[in-house]
Amino acid sequence: MSSISCPVAAMPAEDTAKHVSRLTLKSQLDDMALLWPWAEALIAQFNIPSDTAFAIHLCLEEAISNVIRHGYIGQQDQLLTVNCALPEAHLIEFTIEDQAPFFDPLEPDHIEELVEPSPEDFLRPGGRGILLMRKFASTIKYERIEAGKGGGNRLTIGFALP
Amino acid sequence: MEMELSTHEMDGGITRVELDGRMDIGGAAAVDMKMNLIAGSAKKLLIDLQKVTFLGSMGLRSIVIPARAVVSRGGKVVLYAPTEMVESVLKASNIDTLLPVHHDLAAAVAALQ
Repeated sequence: MSSISCPVAAMPAEDTAKHVSRLTLKSQLDDMALLWPWAEALIAQFNIPSDTAFAIHLCLEEAISNVIRHGYIGQQDQLLTVNCALPEAHLIEFTIEDQAPFFDPLEPDHIEELVEPSPEDFLRPGGRGILLMRKFASTIKYERIEAGKGGGNRLTIGFALP
Repeated sequence: MEMELSTHEMDGGITRVELDGRMDIGGAAAVDMKMNLIAGSAKKLLIDLQKVTFLGSMGLRSIVIPARAVVSRGGKVVLYAPTEMVESVLKASNIDTLLPVHHDLAAAVAALQ
């Protein structure tokens, strides 16, 4: 397992206003054990309410497990990063970056089929984690990382703070 | 915290399964086999969620797939006393339309009769 945490003081000067911490995980579900203590520390640091903390845990687990299970598909030696940032006073954002094949979970086809999900949708392999993310996050944004910049996917999930 | 599972038999042939901990990916993996074993024999299953502090989609599968196995054999399953946030996951995923949720034990037991 591997993890890198960058406190504010260690970040480049231009990023200090936004970035709070970074976690790097291997593309293995076992590595997700590192996610909880990392997120818990941030939740405590920013005194995040319990319902928002629950939503953060839920969305991070769904997003990261999707990358590992469906993006990297069995490749256990790949990496993904999770960045935590505070872009504005009442918003905390988590950005997940990977180098897996392009997949936009927010594209219209995916959204349309999730408008009225049935319980069966949640029982399929892979589940419907994206639906839970959309219901529990305040904002979700997908960006494709072009090949010239390493290639991959960037998913940013935001949560409103009091 | 490691996910824990305990069972005991109640009057009326009801099997009460108490889950305790986080039903995340690790928690789901920890209880999957036990849940499936229980589902293989139980006819009336009360799944006690009072002490479940987190529920993700993998945790949902660990509850719903065994529950459906019981129902498919003509049995009954109820979910009992989820916390507010755990219940919000049940509702967001429409699982509450598949498995009834009760917050009153007597009502949960009555629903299994």
